[in-house]
Amino acid sequence: MDFRSSVLLLALVIACKPTVEGSAGASGRPDQAGILRISVEQQAAWVRNFNPFMTGKYRWPTIGPIHESLYLYSTATATYEPWLATSYEWSPDRRELRFRLRPGVTWSDGVPFSARDVVFTFQLVRAHPEFDGGGVWKFLADVRASSDGEVSFELARPFVPGFANLAQFPIVPEHVWAKVADPVGFANPSPVGTGPYTEVTVFQNQIFELARNPHYWQPRRFAVERLRFPALSSNEQAMLALLRDELDWAGNFVPDVQRLFVARDPPHHGYWYPATGATVLLYANTRRAPFDDVRVRKALSMAIDRDHLTQVAMYGYTRPSDATGLSDAYASWRDPQVVAAGDWVRHDVAHAGALLDAAGYARGEGGLRRTRDGRPLRYQINVVSGWSDWVRACQLVANDLRAVGIDASVKPLDFGAWFDRLQTGDFDLSIGWSSDGATPYLFYRDLMASSTVAPPGTKSGVNWQRFASTEADELLARFEAEGEPAEQLALMHRLEAVFSASAPAIPLFPGPAWGVYNTRRFAGFPGPEHPFAVLSPNPHASYQAEYMLVLAALTPRPNEAP
Amino acid sequence: MRTLARRLLLYLVAAWAALTVNFFLPRLMPGDPVSRMFASYQGQLEPEALAALRRTFGLTDAPLGAQYLSYLGHVARGQLGVSLTYFPAPVTEVMATGMFWTLVLAGTSVLLSFALGTLLGVVVAWRDDGRLDAWLVPALSFLGAFPYFWLAMLLLYLFGFQLSWFPLGHAYSDTLTPAWSLAFVADVLRHAALPSFTLIVATIGGWTLGMRSSMVAVLGADHVTFALAKGLSPARVMLRYAARSAILPNLTQLGMALGFVLGGALLTEMVFGYPGQGYLLLQAVRSQDYPLMQGIFLGITLAVLGANLMIDLVHFWLDPSVRRS
Repeated sequence: MDFRSSVLLLALVIACKPTVEGSAGASGRPDQAGILRISVEQQAAWVRNFNPFMTGKYRWPTIGPIHESLYLYSTATATYEPWLATSYEWSPDRRELRFRLRPGVTWSDGVPFSARDVVFTFQLVRAHPEFDGGGVWKFLADVRASSDGEVSFELARPFVPGFANLAQFPIVPEHVWAKVADPVGFANPSPVGTGPYTEVTVFQNQIFELARNPHYWQPRRFAVERLRFPALSSNEQAMLALLRDELDWAGNFVPDVQRLFVARDPPHHGYWYPATGATVLLYANTRRAPFDDVRVRKALSMAIDRDHLTQVAMYGYTRPSDATGLSDAYASWRDPQVVAAGDWVRHDVAHAGALLDAAGYARGEGGLRRTRDGRPLRYQINVVSGWSDWVRACQLVANDLRAVGIDASVKPLDFGAWFDRLQTGDFDLSIGWSSDGATPYLFYRDLMASSTVAPPGTKSGVNWQRFASTEADELLARFEAEGEPAEQLALMHRLEAVFSASAPAIPLFPGPAWGVYNTRRFAGFPGPEHPFAVLSPNPHASYQAEYMLVLAALTPRPNEAP
Repeated sequence: MRTLARRLLLYLVAAWAALTVNFFLPRLMPGDPVSRMFASYQGQLEPEALAALRRTFGLTDAPLGAQYLSYLGHVARGQLGVSLTYFPAPVTEVMATGMFWTLVLAGTSVLLSFALGTLLGVVVAWRDDGRLDAWLVPALSFLGAFPYFWLAMLLLYLFGFQLSWFPLGHAYSDTLTPAWSLAFVADVLRHAALPSFTLIVATIGGWTLGMRSSMVAVLGADHVTFALAKGLSPARVMLRYAARSAILPNLTQLGMALGFVLGGALLTEMVFGYPGQGYLLLQAVRSQDYPLMQGIFLGITLAVLGANLMIDLVHFWLDPSVRRS
């Protein structure tokens, strides 16, 4: 051991005395009225990072409670609520989008918010491609402040779905961020934002707490006094905290939630798992025979008993997918006719067999189907080992496929290996998720557009089955330029029909959005009876801060005796 | 002194070998950190985020050889880089928090378990009626052979959840601010009690057994018989004559155990939500956080080597035959 290393080790040991990072210390009892205790991210220790552009690295309240956007979207109601902006307007050629900003908004340090901040934010992202995880500068050409109260985005091409990216982008203050030398490595430890909870009162490894923004522009809308985040490293830890009434709101999966959680305290404990999460699909590699044949893909789909699948693999927390493949986040976009006509997602072993016979894969010895040159249809379904719900789902799918004469087996892989094969297209069958956004545009683009097909061997983030449809390309292009809601809906219905006709991938079930609550200390959580927003604090898509609407609806209750 | 110098050289070579394995092994895993992070968002991120993240983390496609050389250079200068999971926190900072709590919990548990276990071993071997031997040793081995995870969960459920005698997790109460005050230290002890107890219960049998068998061998030796014949007090013979030579194998074991303390007690930390090094390591491996993995492995390597060196020195002092060789 050399000297330097031992000095380093010694330094490490000395440096590891507990540090106090918060200014006020852990003041205040956590069960004090008005303090909302939330568990969203599962971390063993908090890192003080409130940089809203650092994808996946910032703390959860960075988006929304600290940095707000021009509009807020609710998947539950499929509407945008004006937030930092009051209205917007597209130019007739869809090349320009103007936002009128809300007057009277100030930053948490008292400086007025203006269009310059919006322009600065987008220019900052342009200068630092590291920040452009949503790819806004792929369709933007320029951004200008027409006045203090109006921002105008100039688009490189008509791209109406880009509204979601622009309207939900977190805005940062120019007067603070312009002085930051290296924004990419900037952790924004003491954030200045327009949001309701900007003051970091406690920040320790195990806990952090945010207090109200003293200059908030709608002070009466949020009744919660503080947000408190204990670091809970696992589902089990979060479970225990929930059962001991140490959390008011959580976004983690609770198995057998009715018996384990709700039944313990029925008047206070509740959950709502709407099927608004990303749809889980069975991907069949369309670059490989026999999956290049739509009849085979549909036969696979018909072989699967989705009712059984959702009951057994997902504890009945979700429903079987319909022929559009869309989750309930897009309920208003779904065409009932496509759903009704979509017999290929219904369990029908006889029909599946007929399709396979017609495609030329007749049953041979032992009931196993064979290709014309006599090779048996024998495939592995790739799945991540340890993702127990997916593994169970794949086992059921494999059983169902064997029933129609395809020798399918489950191949559990380490996550890295599984994702690597999926991305490079090195698989026959694999389970996987799908893309999500405010509209089904991304979902269908990433499953069917030629532009998302990567050459074999190259890694691709989406369209792993490598399916392209010129019909979908044309409809997607028209959707990108369409601003009329009625026309948008008509185009989306046609895209759904293309999806249903060509079965680019086999939808299994929409993922549930996990959300549980405890009303001992706060009232007003959403649920199936009052679905003003999805309960889950987990964002539906990046920068989608629907949970702000939940926060705004909560009212503290006087402390009850436990 | 020549022996010591030779030993030091050996340690240096071992450190280099470990550093090299440290670098290459994580990179042999399939996948890369960005894909893993991207995937943990399951469809919430757009594909553009992949490229953006790669740029943020400064991941390069430079040949492995060149990366290896620059890695060695950085390590020599004590630069461990920036953690990807805890971006933009430096690896040293992330490790420091975990290391402190690991030393508190696992360090004290190992020392306590060693001290108690060894002492028990001495007593068990010394008492020649064999009654203690008959039930204590099997009982301890039984506890040691218990599935640890299950034992820890059971104790947590009973004493933490049902009886509420001990907290359910964390290293100290959320309401306290870390400080060197009596209240805070007491709180830390209260949080460490249950996890520490499970660690001791699970490991104490090994120490007792090891000490007992080497004691039995030593008790038959001439110098012990001689000491007894000389009329020395039994306690003195037991500790100064028998235990002193019998403890050597256990000490070597302790060196290893202390070294591995820095690896953290993964299962304990997971069950009790204790913010130590083991959980960090698990997270680093899961998310392929190369810098953090390298940092933690480096820490473990140095700790194991350092502990062994210390044990070597103790051997020098305890065993004259080593000094002469």
